[in-house]
Amino acid sequence: MPAPPSSRERERMVTKSKINKAQIVGLLMPGLLVFGMFTVYPIIRLFWMSLCDMSFSSMLIQPFAGSMNYQEVFRDPTFWTVFVNSVVYTLVTVPGQMALGLFIAILLNGVKRFSVTFRVINYLPVVTSWVIASLVFRYIFNTEGLLNYFLWKILGLTSSNIRWLDSRWSGLSVAMILGVWKGIGWNMVIFLAALQQVPQDLYEAAEIDGCGAWKKFVNVTLPAIRGTLLFALIELTIGGFNVFTSIKMITGGKPAHQTDTLLTWMYYKAFSTGKFGYAAALSFVMALSLGLLAIVQFRMMRNRDA
Amino acid sequence: MRIITKILAVMLACMLLLSVSPALAEGETVTINFWHHYSAQSAENETLMNVLIPAFEAENPGIKVNAVSHEWAELHDKVLVSANSNALPDVARCDIAWLPEFQKMGILVALDEAMADFADVSGKLLDSAMSTAVIGGHYYALALNTNSKIVFYNTAMLDAADVKVPATMNEWAEAVKKLSGENANGQQVWGWNEPALAGWNICPFIWSFGGSLTNEDQTAATGYVNGPATVKAVETFAELVLSGGITGFNAGDIPMTDGFGTGRYAMMLEGPWKSAELAGAYPDVAYGTAPIPAGEGGSVSVLGGEDIAMFSTANKEAAWKFMQFMTGEFAETEMAKCGQIPVNKAALESDTVKAADYAPFIEAIQTAKARPTVAAWSEMDNGLQIAMNAVVTGEKTAQEALDALAAEWDELLK
Repeated sequence: MPAPPSSRERERMVTKSKINKAQIVGLLMPGLLVFGMFTVYPIIRLFWMSLCDMSFSSMLIQPFAGSMNYQEVFRDPTFWTVFVNSVVYTLVTVPGQMALGLFIAILLNGVKRFSVTFRVINYLPVVTSWVIASLVFRYIFNTEGLLNYFLWKILGLTSSNIRWLDSRWSGLSVAMILGVWKGIGWNMVIFLAALQQVPQDLYEAAEIDGCGAWKKFVNVTLPAIRGTLLFALIELTIGGFNVFTSIKMITGGKPAHQTDTLLTWMYYKAFSTGKFGYAAALSFVMALSLGLLAIVQFRMMRNRDA
Repeated sequence: MRIITKILAVMLACMLLLSVSPALAEGETVTINFWHHYSAQSAENETLMNVLIPAFEAENPGIKVNAVSHEWAELHDKVLVSANSNALPDVARCDIAWLPEFQKMGILVALDEAMADFADVSGKLLDSAMSTAVIGGHYYALALNTNSKIVFYNTAMLDAADVKVPATMNEWAEAVKKLSGENANGQQVWGWNEPALAGWNICPFIWSFGGSLTNEDQTAATGYVNGPATVKAVETFAELVLSGGITGFNAGDIPMTDGFGTGRYAMMLEGPWKSAELAGAYPDVAYGTAPIPAGEGGSVSVLGGEDIAMFSTANKEAAWKFMQFMTGEFAETEMAKCGQIPVNKAALESDTVKAADYAPFIEAIQTAKARPTVAAWSEMDNGLQIAMNAVVTGEKTAQEALDALAAEWDELLK
């Protein structure tokens, strides 16, 4: 057994651990400061803003107004319109992307040659700029755009131009198609990685039990990648509620804010009508909704465990 | 440890030196920040940076102007954000529609109170243009340039349909119907293009039909925006939309200039900037201009333009000198060469202006009205767009939609 440390050695050890702690604190400080200034402080300030009356006349004084902004949000019929739009957008694009991404991942999982090429091709939409992709989609779905040209002049399926972008649900559908198309690659990459972790003997055991391809998928694949599914579900739900660029560039919220989603409406309220308090309250309503949704999603996934 | 201490000491010393030197270099020069929305590639911006600012700095040694170009909508948002973070510029070129909002925030200077020679300076500028800067009896800006909208019409399309340029609203409605339908290539054409359903677009019709938006004091809307003349204007407009005569405000429509330039829209109501756009993009389209057709209320277009305002955190002396320079005869005439209609009375008499294409616009400016100068206007405008949308889609009748709008506006105008 080594000799116990002498008193001088003990002193040196204590000073060394103090220096260690000082170093740790010193190295963490810059990161914590940045996090505090740019993430924590704005959230607190925003919450305070949502409790104040901030419109043009009160912009610089900002008197406390309690739940006034929250009440205004819930009483605003346009809020309910944009909330429904956001929910529908999320309900359509999230399962859509996940299903198609998973399908392509399964196909690619069995491919040996050119798998990298296929992966790159599928991932390209993900790295395309939202602005450019939105403008291209707008060009395609315009009343005198590419799609109508094909349907009318080339295929002869219609006898006039269809106004895809001019009404609520068809305008939103164009944005939803873009949303799904753009996200497939991201899902594919994530699910491909997850699929490659699934142990082969599970599949072999299932084959012995006489399972066909579909049963193998439902009973082996899905449970095995459950963690990844949950991760993708939560990320994509948050992304779905945060849709902004595609709506702004494709319909601009027209007609009369009926294709607006939560974020585009929030932007309009803050910067075009100067109602910063309302916009702040709206952002917290949105954050709370997403938080609740995430909890629900967690619970649902966990129940399947039992 | 000793080496580290030495290095830290040297770094600290350097930092202190660097922080002191700018203060030493500043000396007597004052820099004023000027935010504007002349687009970066435009002739106006060239004139500003290469002619006007050097001339001003030469006349006023000791004042430097730092001009920053923004995009129109971005400038509005930037001022809102900067007000909250105390980062406002000294002077800015503002759309006249923004002044009531900025004034309500308390960030503008009441020039008639703060500047001793205000009456002199403003006396040199057009009264109607200066009326856009009055809020609650005080002046919060100097007029910088003015504009209005007049009818642009495609001469070939009117000739082909044997339609003469409409001079009254009845003739206009007839003309729009006759000019719509299909052209020789089987494509749909429309008699009139209206790019949006906001006040800027609909007010000329409302006013020319003899209607109004609010009372004189701008404190009540019931009886005005839902009055019989206003309702008639909106009904006429909506009926033409529903019968395929007017389009342009839908997300999927052909953009205005492209549609006009390619012979899909026969007529539109636009400002002086459109001539430059058409000359650049569609130089071959033959078009003419005419005042907005007259209805029961006369031929009344909508007043637009920009004012130059001073913010409360400005270096007032230097900013005021710059504002006087920008609204003076020299600067106004130079800008007039780029298509900006001047508000300076002397500049309006100059040969440059008389020889320019503005004459039809200047006539329209004489009778044009400004939109309500109240801070709630953006919300009111939003309500108007929603109401108009309901009427042009046939969801509501004009009377229903405008009655609901009047109630909303009464609340906002309180």
